[in-house]
Amino acid sequence: MTANVIFYPIIVPLVTALALLVTPKKMKWGKEIVAIAGTALNLLLAIALFKSNIYFSAPWSGFGIDFSLKLYQFSSFIILAAAGFAFLITLYSTASLFNKDYAKPFYVYLALSLLMVNGAVLADNLVLMLFFWEGLLVTLFGMITIGNKHAFKTATKAFIIVGISDLFMMVGIALVAYLGGTITISQINLTTAGLGGLAFIFLIIGAISKAGSMPFHSWIPDAAIDAPLPFMAILPASLEKLLGIYFLARISLDMFELNVHSWASTTLMVVGAITILLAVMMALVQKDYKRLLSYHAISQVGYMILGIGTLVPVGIVGGLFHMINHAMYKSCLFLTGGSVEKQAGTTDLAKLGGIAKSMPVTFICFIIAAASISGVPPFNGFFSKELVYDGALERGMIFYVAAILGSFLTAASFLKLGHAAFLGKKQGNAEVKEAPMRMLIPMITIASLCVLFGLWNALPLNNLIQPILGKRLEGHNFSGLPTNALLVIATVVVLALALLNHIYGVKKTGKALKATDHIRYAPLLGHLYDMAEKRFFDPYNIGLDIVNFFAKIAAWFDRAIDWVYNILVVNAANLVTGLIKRLHTGNYGSYIIWSLASAAVILIFLIRAI
Amino acid sequence: MIPMENNCLLACVFVPVIGAFALPLIGRVSELARNLTALALVTVSLVTSLFLAPAAIAGHVISVSYSLPLGFNFILTADALAVFMAAASSLVGAIIVLYSFGYISHYNNRNEYYLMVTLFLGSMMGLVYSGNLIFMYLFWEITAIASWRLIGFFREKEYVLKADKAFLVTVFGALVMLLGFIYIYQVTGSFDLSAIKAAFKNNAIPDIAVALILIGILSKSATLPFHTWLPDAGVAPSPVTALLHAAVLVKIGVYVFARLFIATFTLSQIWHTVVPVIAGVSALVAAGAALVETDMKRIIAYSTVSQIGFILLGFAVSNEVGVVGALLYILMHGLAKGGLFLCAGIVEQNTKTKDITKMGGLIATMPVTAFSFLACALSVMGVPPFGGFFSKYLVFSGAATSGSIMITSIFLFGAFLTLIYLFRIFNMIFLGDPQKPPAKEGSGVMVLSVAMLAVLSIAGGILIKYPSDFVQTAVKQMMGI
Repeated sequence: MTANVIFYPIIVPLVTALALLVTPKKMKWGKEIVAIAGTALNLLLAIALFKSNIYFSAPWSGFGIDFSLKLYQFSSFIILAAAGFAFLITLYSTASLFNKDYAKPFYVYLALSLLMVNGAVLADNLVLMLFFWEGLLVTLFGMITIGNKHAFKTATKAFIIVGISDLFMMVGIALVAYLGGTITISQINLTTAGLGGLAFIFLIIGAISKAGSMPFHSWIPDAAIDAPLPFMAILPASLEKLLGIYFLARISLDMFELNVHSWASTTLMVVGAITILLAVMMALVQKDYKRLLSYHAISQVGYMILGIGTLVPVGIVGGLFHMINHAMYKSCLFLTGGSVEKQAGTTDLAKLGGIAKSMPVTFICFIIAAASISGVPPFNGFFSKELVYDGALERGMIFYVAAILGSFLTAASFLKLGHAAFLGKKQGNAEVKEAPMRMLIPMITIASLCVLFGLWNALPLNNLIQPILGKRLEGHNFSGLPTNALLVIATVVVLALALLNHIYGVKKTGKALKATDHIRYAPLLGHLYDMAEKRFFDPYNIGLDIVNFFAKIAAWFDRAIDWVYNILVVNAANLVTGLIKRLHTGNYGSYIIWSLASAAVILIFLIRAI
Repeated sequence: MIPMENNCLLACVFVPVIGAFALPLIGRVSELARNLTALALVTVSLVTSLFLAPAAIAGHVISVSYSLPLGFNFILTADALAVFMAAASSLVGAIIVLYSFGYISHYNNRNEYYLMVTLFLGSMMGLVYSGNLIFMYLFWEITAIASWRLIGFFREKEYVLKADKAFLVTVFGALVMLLGFIYIYQVTGSFDLSAIKAAFKNNAIPDIAVALILIGILSKSATLPFHTWLPDAGVAPSPVTALLHAAVLVKIGVYVFARLFIATFTLSQIWHTVVPVIAGVSALVAAGAALVETDMKRIIAYSTVSQIGFILLGFAVSNEVGVVGALLYILMHGLAKGGLFLCAGIVEQNTKTKDITKMGGLIATMPVTAFSFLACALSVMGVPPFGGFFSKYLVFSGAATSGSIMITSIFLFGAFLTLIYLFRIFNMIFLGDPQKPPAKEGSGVMVLSVAMLAVLSIAGGILIKYPSDFVQTAVKQMMGI
C-alpha cells in the first residue's frame, strides 16, 4: 500500500458530500443511493486500513503546523467504529428521513462530519487536529438547525458551548507549542507542573466537552427534542463520544506524563463521578423517550472519564471499552426511539404504551441495549462497567460508590422507560406497525454486536482495546469473566434493588411513568428538581447571564467614553472659543498691544535660539 | 534596479490617485464607463502589487526615490510587508468597488463617490509603500479627508456631524503623531525610514515619541479610548463602511505600528505590556458593546474594534509567530469583515432598516446573502476551515509565547464574546420568524461580491500555505531574522 491511502478516509467522505450536492432533486432515491454508497465505501476502506501503520507529513503553515497524518492501532480502530456507525445510521435514515425535505442536507452534513472525525483522528499535529475537530462545529450547527423552525436556538446553544471549549483547546495548543516546542502529537511529552497544568486543563476542556460531559452538556437534551433523530444517534451518541474520549486518552496517556497521585487524575475522576450522578438524576425524571436517552448520553461519559482518570490499567481499559460499548448501545437506543417516533407518532411517554406486541423487533433491540447500558450480565456494558468499578475502587471507595449508585439509577430509569413505552396499556386507537426493514437492520446489527462484545469480550478487548495501551498493560489481560467476584455480587444486588425500586414505584402510583416519583418529589430533592427543570442550573444560562452583565458594564463604559467626545470636548471647545471671542472687542488699541506683545515674544525666542 | 518593477510601484500609487480626478469627468459622459474606470484603477493597484510579489518573496526590496530638500525625500519602498498589505487592501477594495455598482446606483453624488473611493485606495497604496515619514503622514491625511466626505455622503445634518467627529478624532491623532515624527527628526535629522533605522540600530526609540505616535495609531485604528467614531461612521453607505472598517482605514494604524515599531525601531520592554493591555481592554469593551447594540452596522463596527485588538496584540508581543498571526489576521479579517458589511448593506437596502430587532427569517428569501454572512462570521470567530482559524491560532500562539497568561486570558474571553455576538446578529437577522413581508435578495453584482468574499474566506483557510509562506518571508525581513 502506498502512503497516499492515508488520505482516502478524508477524500471519500468529501467526495460523497460533493456528489450529494450535485445529485439532482428529481432523481428518485438519488441522494439515498449516493449516501449509502459513500458510507459503505468508507466502511470498506476502514476495514482495509484497520491495523495498518502509515505516516505522512508535509509542511503546511509554518511554526510547526504540519499536515501530518498517522494511522496506527488506535486511530484505525476509531475510524473503523465511526465508519460502521455512519453506514448503519445512513441506512436507517433512508427510511426514517424519507420524504423529509431536510434529508439531503442531513446526508451532506453526515458525510462532512465523517470527514472531520476521520481527519481529527488521523492528525498527528495538534493544529491540524483542531482544524478538523473544530470543523465539526459547522456540521453540528447545520444538523441541529435543519430539525425544525426553532431548532436554530438549540443549534446556537450547541455551537457556543462547544465553540467556547474549542477556543480553550486552541489556547491550550498554543501553550503546548510554547512549553514543549512542538505540536506534533507523537513527540509531545509534558508534565502538569506550572503552565503545563493550565495547558492540560484547556486541552481536557476541549476533549470532555466534545464527549458531552458536564458542565458542557446542556445542549444535548435540547437537541434531542429539536434535531432530526438520526443526528442524536450519529453525533452525540457515537461519533463525538468516540472522538472526545479518543483525544482524552491521547492527552492523558500519551501527551502528558501523569501519575496516579497527580491532581490531574483526581480532577478527572471527580468530573467523571459528578457527571455520572447529576446527569442520571435528571434522566430519571424525564417524561420523553429521546430526552431521557440524551441525559444518559451525558451520564455514561462520566464512566469513561472516571475510568481513564483512574490511570490504573484496569480503569483505562474499562473506560475505553466503555467508550465503544456506549457508542453501540446508545445509538441503538436512539434508533429504537426513532422507530417508535416514526411508527407511533410521538416520543412523549405519557402517550405511549403497549406497543411491544406490535413492534417486537424494536422492543427486543431496546431490551438488549437497555440491559447493556444498565450493566446487566452478560451484555457488553456489564463487562466494561465492572472494569471501571475495579479501577475506581482501587483509587478510592467514594468513586466506586458514585459509579455503582449511577448504575442503580440507570437501571431504574430504563425500567421506567421500557415499561412506560412498550408495556402497559395501549394508548390511543391508532394502529402501530413494526418499523420498515431499513430501520430494523441497523438496530439488529448493533444489538447483536452488544451481545457479541459481551459474551465474547476477548474479541474487542484483545484486538481493539488492549493493543492501544501497549507497554502500559504488560502482563495484564482483562478479557473473560471479571476477576473480582465481590464486585459482581454487588452489581447484581444493586440491579435487583433497582427492580424492587421500580416495582415499589409502580405499585405506589399505579403508573409506570410515575415509577420514579418517590425520588422526584422526595423532600429537598424535589425542590432541587424544580429548580433544575426551570433551568436554574444550566451552565449555559448562567454563563450568558454573566456575559450579559459584563456587556452592560462594557457598553456603559463605552457610552461614557463617547460622552467625552460628544459632550465634554464640544462644551470645552465652546467655552474656550467663547472666552477668546470676548477678547475680540473691536478696540483698535488693544489689537495693537497684542501684536506688539506677540512680536516681542517671537523676538526673544529668536534671540535665545541664536 | 529593475525599471519595470519601479514603474509598477509608481503606477500602483499614482494611477489611482491621479486617475481618481478623471472619474467625475468620465461620469458626465457615461455612468458605466466611470464605474468600469474606477474598478480598473483599483485593479491596477492590485495587479501591480501582485506583480511585485515574486520579487518581494525572493527578498528583494524595490525602491524608488526622488531627492527633495530638508530630508523630505520622496521614497517608495516595496518590501514583502508593504506588498502584502497593498495586495490585501486592494483585493478587498476591488470587490467593494464592484459591489458599489449595484449599491450606489440609486443615490445622488455618484461622481464624488467614485472619486473619493478611488482616491482613498490610491493614497492607501501611497501610505503603505511610503519610505518617508512625512509622505506617510501626507497620505494618511488624504485618507482622512476622503473618508470624511464619504461618511457624510448622505448629507443629512446628523450624518455630517458624525463625519466631522470621525475626521476630528483621526486628525487630532494624526497631528499628535506628527509631533512624534518631528521628535524623531530632531534626534536623527531625517524622515527617511532607512536612515532612522540605522540611527536607532542599537538603542530603543525614546518613549515619548512612541507614546505620541501610538496615539495616532490608536485613533486611526479605532482602539479604545479613540474608537467611538467608528460605530458612528456606520451612517455611511455600506460599501464605504466596509471599506473604512474592514479593508483599509482601520488597518492603516496597525500597519504603521508594524512598519515603525517592528520593522524600523525597537521598542523598550514596557510597551510589550502596555499595548497588549490597551488592546485587550479595547477588545473586551467593544465586544460588550456589540452585544448590547441593536443597529447591525454598529454591531459589526464594534466587532471590528474588538478584532483590531487581536491584531494589535499579535504585533505588540513582537515575537515571530505573533507578528505572522497579526498579518494573516489583517488579511482574513479584511475579507471576512468586508463580507459582513456588504451583506449588512444588502439587508439594509432591501429591508429599509438597520435595527436587528425588526428583522428575522431572511434566510428564506436571501439565501446567498445569509450563507455568505455566516461564512464570514465563522471566519471572524476563527472556526475552521475558514481563514480566520489560522490567524486566531497564531495570534494566541504569539501571546502564549510571550508568556503572559493574564493577557492571553483576556483575549480568550474576547474570543468567547465574538462567538456570542456574531451568533446573536446572525440569528436575529436571518433566522426565526419573519417580522415583515419578506425582502428580496440583493442585485446580481452585489450578491456576487459577497459570495466572492465568502469563498475567499474559505480559500484562505484551505490554501493557508500560500499567504502564510508569504507572510513568513515578510516577517523574517521585518525582524531581520
